Amino acid sequence: MTDKDYNDCVDNFADGVYRFIVKNIRHTEDAQDIVQSAFEKLWVNRAQVLPEKAKSYLFTVAYHQMIDHIRKSNKMPLAEETTIPHQKIVQQDAELKRILMHAVNELNPIQKSLVLLKDYEGYSYQEIGEIMHLSESQVKVYLHRARLILKNKLSAYAPTAS
Amino acid sequence: MQLNESTYETIFLLYIDKELSPKERLEVEAFIADNPSYALEMEALKATVLSAENIPYAFKENLKQFEQETSLEVLDQKWDTTYATILKEDMQSIPGLSTSFKNTLKKETASEGRIIIPIGFNQNKFTYAAIAACLMVFIGYQQLTKSQLSDSSVANSSASNSVVSNGLATNSNTVIVPNATTIISTESTVSGETVVSNSKQTATIKLQASQSSIKRSSYKFQNATIAIAEPNRNNSNINNQAIITKLSSSYNNPMTIDAISTETNSIDVDTETTVDEKAATSYEVIDTEDPNRTIFIANFEIDGAAFRGITRRFSALLKRNKSEKEK
Repeated sequence: MTDKDYNDCVDNFADGVYRFIVKNIRHTEDAQDIVQSAFEKLWVNRAQVLPEKAKSYLFTVAYHQMIDHIRKSNKMPLAEETTIPHQKIVQQDAELKRILMHAVNELNPIQKSLVLLKDYEGYSYQEIGEIMHLSESQVKVYLHRARLILKNKLSAYAPTAS
Repeated sequence: MQLNESTYETIFLLYIDKELSPKERLEVEAFIADNPSYALEMEALKATVLSAENIPYAFKENLKQFEQETSLEVLDQKWDTTYATILKEDMQSIPGLSTSFKNTLKKETASEGRIIIPIGFNQNKFTYAAIAACLMVFIGYQQLTKSQLSDSSVANSSASNSVVSNGLATNSNTVIVPNATTIISTESTVSGETVVSNSKQTATIKLQASQSSIKRSSYKFQNATIAIAEPNRNNSNINNQAIITKLSSSYNNPMTIDAISTETNSIDVDTETTVDEKAATSYEVIDTEDPNRTIFIANFEIDGAAFRGITRRFSALLKRNKSEKEK
């Protein structure tokens, strides 16, 4: 990977990595630190990283740094997304979006990461397994469990929201 | 893929995760169309999919690095694509420039990679020029020497620096002396015939004898005095006697012309040649096989060893140029 490839990665993947991290830990400063650390590691190891693998590399590094960050700080706020700038969130149904995000935040970190990587980044089961160091079948089972949990929670919130 | 009561949920989850092939997705949609009761189940699962959000990272510029490796390439590409065209257009609009220069700009494009040949001497050209200069100096020196000797010979005598070429010799002891101008002319009125060449550079004596001939004749010149036999036309009693007169004593190189006559090339016995005994006494035999000799070729004096050295260096130079071209 050349310097130009690295800068292209910054332009193309920084937003996605940051979104993935900040949706998981819901803390902007910590998310920014994790993103910066991920790109620093990419810069240091740019000679060994192929440009087509850079996105997966960034999400992998960011995900594991996020897990380390969660274990060290032991903070997983499940309440409100106080630090996320709501004005930048684009959604069709704000109320449904809020209920869904609330339900997603109640998932465990692995299930939450699976949902975010699948829905936001569009990764396949195999790619998610490579990032999170899981098998494809594990990704499939964990993700399906997360979907069913979200479905049930949405069903529970839906009458209230409506 | 088989959709039924027990498998539909898993297949619906694969559907919303976009893990099914287009054909399988059509099968699922057909199943829902045939069984509307499953449509709500599908909608409930679709509701669990997060919609796209744009949460930009505000510090991208801090993450970027200076592109040190490719900055020159980028600048070169920008030049080729934009600035070169702009420059050409600007140059075309300048009225003071010549038309030929503008046409040159029109023919050139940024992507042609025009090769610019440097003006000046390269190594090969310099070598050739040096050889040519040496040859010119050498030839000029030779011509200058020749002209000086010619002038001196004219000043001394019209027949100084004589050359005697023994036409009777059969062992190739013919010696050519530079700046030879004198012709020996011998004419026999009775029995011999002498062909005289008046050329300045050659001297040939042809004596054809009709009577008895000698097998060996030796002409001795002392102190490099070249003698010429001249017939005495006025005196019929000494008709066959050639009088050798001394022409010049300036030629200091003694030499001996050792002539071996044959049957066809013989000196007329009746032609009595009288040589001034005081002047012609001894000659040296020139060894033509001597490597240290000085060879006179036409008017050029060439040293044998030096000539070989020049030829070797010239051949080595040609070989080196050839090898460089092959590389």
